[in-house]
Amino acid sequence: MIDLLPQFLFNGLLIGASYALIAVGLTMIFGIMNIANFAHGQLYMLGGCLGYFLTARLGLHYLLTVPLVVLVVMALGLLLERTIFRRLRYEPAMSSVLATVGLAILLENAARVLWGPQPEPIATGFSQMPIQLGPVFTTEARVFAVVTTFGALLLVYLFLNRSLLGTAMRATFQQSEAAALVGISIDKVHAATFALGAGLAALGGVLLGAIFFVYPTMGTTATLKAFIVVILGGLGSIGGSVVGGLILGLAESLGTLVSSAYKDAIGFVLVILILLYRPDGLFKRS
Amino acid sequence: MASSSAPDRSPLRLVPWAAGAAALLAAPLAIGQGYELHLLIIATIFTIVASSLSLLVGYAGLLSLGHAAFFGLGAYVSALLLLRLGVSMWGGLVCAAVISALAAFLVGGLVLKVRGNRFIITTVAFAEIMHLIAVNAVDLTRGQMGLDGVAAPKVAIPGLGVIDFGTKIAFYYLVLAMAAICIATIARIVRSPIGWGLAALRENENLGEAVGVSAFRHAMIAFVVGGFFAGIGGALYGHYMQFVSPDLFLFSYTTTMLVMVVIGGKMSIAGPIIGAVVFTVLPEALRVATTYRLVVLGTILLIAILVLPNGLASLWERRRRAPAAALGN
Repeated sequence: MIDLLPQFLFNGLLIGASYALIAVGLTMIFGIMNIANFAHGQLYMLGGCLGYFLTARLGLHYLLTVPLVVLVVMALGLLLERTIFRRLRYEPAMSSVLATVGLAILLENAARVLWGPQPEPIATGFSQMPIQLGPVFTTEARVFAVVTTFGALLLVYLFLNRSLLGTAMRATFQQSEAAALVGISIDKVHAATFALGAGLAALGGVLLGAIFFVYPTMGTTATLKAFIVVILGGLGSIGGSVVGGLILGLAESLGTLVSSAYKDAIGFVLVILILLYRPDGLFKRS
Repeated sequence: MASSSAPDRSPLRLVPWAAGAAALLAAPLAIGQGYELHLLIIATIFTIVASSLSLLVGYAGLLSLGHAAFFGLGAYVSALLLLRLGVSMWGGLVCAAVISALAAFLVGGLVLKVRGNRFIITTVAFAEIMHLIAVNAVDLTRGQMGLDGVAAPKVAIPGLGVIDFGTKIAFYYLVLAMAAICIATIARIVRSPIGWGLAALRENENLGEAVGVSAFRHAMIAFVVGGFFAGIGGALYGHYMQFVSPDLFLFSYTTTMLVMVVIGGKMSIAGPIIGAVVFTVLPEALRVATTYRLVVLGTILLIAILVLPNGLASLWERRRRAPAAALGN
């Protein structure tokens, strides 16, 4: 049992990193736009399903597919912000949440109509042969996913801290009226936030879809998991959701050792404990 | 909303309700006892559930995305009591309502302190936990296989003979009576001081608290009453379908209820009724396009939020109020 531990830790790290990828976008949309995006998992699903469509049906190379999928879903994110969420910005918060629920139903079933309900693999062209890294067995697709995920998280960090737009986004997050007063375009910041969040979710989908399967209903669980991570890390905290994602991934992976039936319950129980004892997330200093 | 306009006291305001009640009582004569009556029964059960959700989403301003948890819990409580302990549906209905309300009380104690978006997310998590328990506690629930044989009782009434609630016609009048009780209770609550408290909580919580309205207490009352009627709705649904499965806890049930409330009209008594009927009948009407059905529903929901935020019921209210407002000016 104990010699399997490094394997479970690695698997947990892989899943946790992609949870983090999805949750970072969700927490940014929440923090900056004050929208609890219940369609976030569907953007992740769209990444996976588009990845399947471009590789398996159109024969595009996987390494080209990954950036293309991210760009397409980012463009969709811009469109959604422009057509739906901008109109609802000054409505009660419930309106935008309800709109995301409608959007989730729409995207999930549009994907079902377009690609059918059955799980499909993404054709990556990676070798299926296991690679041994010390005590851990893995595959090329998994190594690619872990490296790309951490690379993307690093890029997001640099973007937020070094670029003008990223700084504007952080300013809006802290105080949106004050940000608007010093000349930051809230329209632009919101559009960029939703597009970036959508793109990160899609990246998660196209990376994990290369390891597991993709199917139109995969988004629902992803949304719930991402919300768990966001609560663990504290709503609106970007660093918190990275750590929260890794914690949930590791907890679930190690939880499999105890009870695979209730593995998915671990996150929900964690959420309830957090809300009871640390309602601002694990890392908030009081 | 209700408090801002002068209450309409004329007996005429009850005319549409009386006409509706008469039409519903006579409905089986017109539509027969086949598939159309089945749809009407389902619509009536969802009227109960959607009305209970509108108390939360509409009147209290609490967006609960875990309402299916109480619906499913009620269905399971009543089904398990019947199958494991031989308690008939009547006892089952009472226990389903009480246990669902109790669950709402316990969950409410946990989540109503953290309202807003945390509340929304936690309600989802609660429904998900219930789903996992129903799937995995196989010894009790038979897991994914579900529980079948959830029968409705036969009642012998001296002088009238035996009423078999296993028939559609008898069950129809039962759900109709339950829906009437549920709607009357909710209508009573929203027009009472508790309803004014809920309005204060919805419109401006800080101001409400400042004038002595306890947000927590009012939110809790709405949550518990909502859970109570959702439990009854779930128990009725289980006994009517004679089958209960973990699917009842799924997010898709919550979204169905939510669509009914939002598109029907979330701050009106008639809204959830309209929503429940439209969204039981519409999916059937869209059957020719099964694959596109949910795409259409999702699109309708989005458009409704953008152009008709107060639902279909507001079309009627607006027409009724417009002349009055013109007179007032």
